[in-house]
Amino acid sequence: MRFDSIIIGGGIAGLTCAIRCAEEGLSCAVISSGMSALHFASGSIDLLGRFPGDSVVTDPFERIPEFINLNPDHPYSRCGEKAIADSLHYFADQLQQQSLQLCDNGRRNHFHLTTYGTLTPTYLSQKSVYSPDLEKAFFENQKIALISFEGFRDFHVPLISANLPGQTLFQNRQVTTGTVDLSPLIRSLKNPHEFRSIDISRMLETDEDLQKIADSINELAGDAGIIGLPACLGFIHHNHVYEKLQGLVGRPVYEIPTLPPSILGMRLDHALKTRFSNLGGVFIAGDKVVRGEMQSERMIGVYTENHGKTLLKAGSVVLATGSFFSGGLISNSAGIREPVFNLDLAYEKDRKQWAGGLFFQPESHQFLEFGVKTNERLNPFDHSGHPIDNLYCAGAILAGYNPIREGSGGGVAISTGYYAAEKIISRTASTGAATP
Amino acid sequence: MINLDNISFDHCIKCTVCTVYCPVARVTHLYPGPKFSGPDTERLRIKNPDLLDDSLKYCSNCKRCEIVCPSDVNIADIIRLASANNPKRKLSLRDLILSSTDLIGQVATRTAVIVNWTMKLSPLRRLMQLILGLSHERAFPQYASSSFSKWAVGLIQTQETYPEKVVYFHGCYVNYNDPDLGKSVVQVLNRLNIGVVTTAEKCCGIPLISNNRLEEAKKHARHNIDVLKKAVGDSDMKIVLTSSSCCLALDHEYENLLEMDTTSIQGQIELITKFLYEAFEQEETPSLKPLNLTVAYHAPCHLERMGGVVYTVELLKKIPGLNLRFLHSECCGISGTYGFKEENYAISQAIGQNLFDQINDLKPDLVVTDCETCKWQIEFNTAYQVVHPITLLAKAMGCQNILKTGEKKTGS
Repeated sequence: MRFDSIIIGGGIAGLTCAIRCAEEGLSCAVISSGMSALHFASGSIDLLGRFPGDSVVTDPFERIPEFINLNPDHPYSRCGEKAIADSLHYFADQLQQQSLQLCDNGRRNHFHLTTYGTLTPTYLSQKSVYSPDLEKAFFENQKIALISFEGFRDFHVPLISANLPGQTLFQNRQVTTGTVDLSPLIRSLKNPHEFRSIDISRMLETDEDLQKIADSINELAGDAGIIGLPACLGFIHHNHVYEKLQGLVGRPVYEIPTLPPSILGMRLDHALKTRFSNLGGVFIAGDKVVRGEMQSERMIGVYTENHGKTLLKAGSVVLATGSFFSGGLISNSAGIREPVFNLDLAYEKDRKQWAGGLFFQPESHQFLEFGVKTNERLNPFDHSGHPIDNLYCAGAILAGYNPIREGSGGGVAISTGYYAAEKIISRTASTGAATP
Repeated sequence: MINLDNISFDHCIKCTVCTVYCPVARVTHLYPGPKFSGPDTERLRIKNPDLLDDSLKYCSNCKRCEIVCPSDVNIADIIRLASANNPKRKLSLRDLILSSTDLIGQVATRTAVIVNWTMKLSPLRRLMQLILGLSHERAFPQYASSSFSKWAVGLIQTQETYPEKVVYFHGCYVNYNDPDLGKSVVQVLNRLNIGVVTTAEKCCGIPLISNNRLEEAKKHARHNIDVLKKAVGDSDMKIVLTSSSCCLALDHEYENLLEMDTTSIQGQIELITKFLYEAFEQEETPSLKPLNLTVAYHAPCHLERMGGVVYTVELLKKIPGLNLRFLHSECCGISGTYGFKEENYAISQAIGQNLFDQINDLKPDLVVTDCETCKWQIEFNTAYQVVHPITLLAKAMGCQNILKTGEKKTGS
C-alpha cells in the first residue's frame, strides 16, 4: 500500500495537513491512535494571546513580525507571517464547508469565558461562543444569566459566577444563576456519574426535549438579556440546536466550555474528519505507528501495530503525534524520547527546571517547550545530524514554543500542519511522485 | 491478587471518550458506558468480585471503545473478562443455542427446508421469544441445504496441483448459510493460480466469547490452532478468512483475550481482501470486467478494530466501473448474537438507525460489507441486498454463477 503522504496523528495539525494534501489530489492516509486532544480543548483557536512579559495581545498579526524576530526558533518563525495568515483562513474555510462557522474579531483577538469563569484571549471561536452579534448583545445588556443542568458535574456555575466579578468585562454586571432540572426528561438514567456533556447534547438534539428545556431556561433566566450555558448545545446537529434554542428563549445564547469531553472540540474533530473523508482521504483509526523504514536517508514508509509486517509506503511522512499528553513525547526516568522515529529532541537536561512550583503559574512550565528539533522546512534530524527531507513535524510535537504561556496552541498546530502540506505539495509536484 | 499482566485499566485517565463513541450508551441509559463498566469498576472488582454489575451484559463487544481510547486501554477485553468471570453468572438455554453456531449449523443444514420455513412462522417465533428470549421480530438467517465443507471435500485433488496454496478458514457462515461465497473464494484464488486448503475447523469462538463461554472458546481456539498449524506446517502459507469477526478471533482474541499460544500461526492470518490486495500489488491485477453498479461500503466494527478496512476499500477501487460510496463508519447494531436477544432487540435497532438512513438516502444498487451479521442486520432493515467484497470481485473476474441480483435476502 502506497500513499503520497502518510500523516501520523489525527489531531488538529495532522488533519489540517491531511485536508490540504487531499484537496490537492494527493493520496493521503492519517493514522491515528485514539481520539485527539481536541476532545479536551476549548474548541477556540488561539493564535497569539500573550506576549512575553504577560501582556494580552489585542492584534496578533500586528505583533507577529516582532514575535518572530524575538523567537527565531519558534514554529511561527518557520512558517512565516503569510503562511500563518493563509492557514487560519484556509482552516476556517474548510470548516465552513462542513457547516461549522468560526468567527474572528476582524483580525483582532476576542475573549472567551473559560470553565473557571476567567477570560482568555483567542482568535477564532464557534459562533455560539463569539460572534459580532453576541458581542453587541453582551455590551447592550446589563443583566446576564448563567444556567446549568442539575446533576451535571463538569460545569460549576458557583465557581464561574464567583470568578466573574474579578474580570474587567463583567464588572458591575447583574448575574442571575440557575440550574435546569432534567430529571423529568431522563427516561432511564441509572448512573449519575455518567451524566456528561454528550448526554445533555443528545437530549437537546431531540426537538421534544429541547422545547421543554428551553421553557425552564426561560423561566430561570428572568429578564436577563443574554444567557450563558455549558457547551452542550448539540454535537452533530449543533447548528439546528443553537438556532432553535435562541428562537425558543427569544434572546442571544452563548456557550461556555465544559470539562472534557469537550463538545466544542468534538465538533471541530467531526467536521475535520468528515471533510478529509469527503476529499477521499483514508483515516486509519485505532492504530499505532511503531517504526519507520529508512532508505538512503529518506523515510520510505511506516510499520504499524495492526498492519504488522506490511509496510505502508509513503512519498512523504508527517509526524503530528502531539506532546506528552497525546503520547508524541514520552518522559521516563531515563529522559525524554520521541517513540516513533526516535528523533533528536530539544529539551532541558536538568529535570529540576522542567516544571515550576505552581500548577497555574503565569509563566507556565518549561516542559511544554520540549519537542522535536527541526530545520526551516520542519524536517527533523536523524542521529547523525542530517535532516530527513521527506519527514515533516507539525503541531505540539515541535520544540520551541509554549502554547499555554503564549496562547498559541491552535495557531501553531494549524500553521505548521498547513506549512508542511505546502512543502509536500510542491515536493510531489517537482518529483512527480503522485500515485495514479 | 492483582494480575500485573493486565493493568491496562490503570492507564485510563477518565476522559469519557469511549462512552461518547459507544453505540450502546448512545441509545440507552441502561448501559452506563465502557468507561464505567470497564476501567472504573475493574478496580472495584479486583477487591470484591461481587461488585459485578448486571449492566455489563449490555456491552455488544463491538470494540469501538478500544479504537477511540487515547490511552491504550483494552476496554472491551476488560468488560468481556469481567462478564465471563462473574461467579453468579448462569448460562441460559438461549445463549447456549445462540453461541453453538457449529452444532446448530450442522442440524439446520440437514433440515434446511424445514428450518428455513418454520423460522418464518410468526407463532413459532413468538413462542421462541416466550420460552427462550429470542426476539420474535428478528428474521433468522437462512440455512443452505448442503455445507461448504462437504463441497470442499471434493476439491482436495484439484487443489493439490496448484504451485502455491493458502488455507481458507471459511467460518460457520460460509459453511452453513452461504457456501456460494466460499465457492467464489476458491474460484478467485484458483484464477490467480493459488490452490485452497480447508481444515476440520470449528467455530472461531466469537459467539462463545460474546456469550461468556470462555472455556469452550479456549477449546475451539486450541483445536483451530492445531489444525491450522498442521495445515501450514513449517511453511509461511497464509491463512485467509472472509469473515472479519472470525479474523478478529484468530488474530486478536486468541492471544489477547483467551491467552492462547498462537506463535505457530502468527503473522499468517489475513482477511482475504488484504491477501488479494497484496497479491495484486506483487504480481499484477488480473483483468477485471467493469461492473457498472453503485455500491455503498459499510465497514464492520471488528474490521475497523483490526485496521483492515483500507485493504477492502483499495481492492474494491480496482474494479472498473464500480461507483464506490462510503457509509460513515457506524455500528450496525447487531454485533453477532447480541441483536437476536429479546432484551437487546430495540437497542440493536436504534444503534443501526443512522446507518440504515444513510443507505436509504444513497439508494445504492448493492451494499457491500465483510461481515455476515452486518449483512443480516442491513438486509433486515433496508430494501437492499448486501454482498461480500469477494462476491463483487469474483463477478468482475468473470467467475461463474456469482451474484444473482434480486435473489432472496436473509430471512424475511
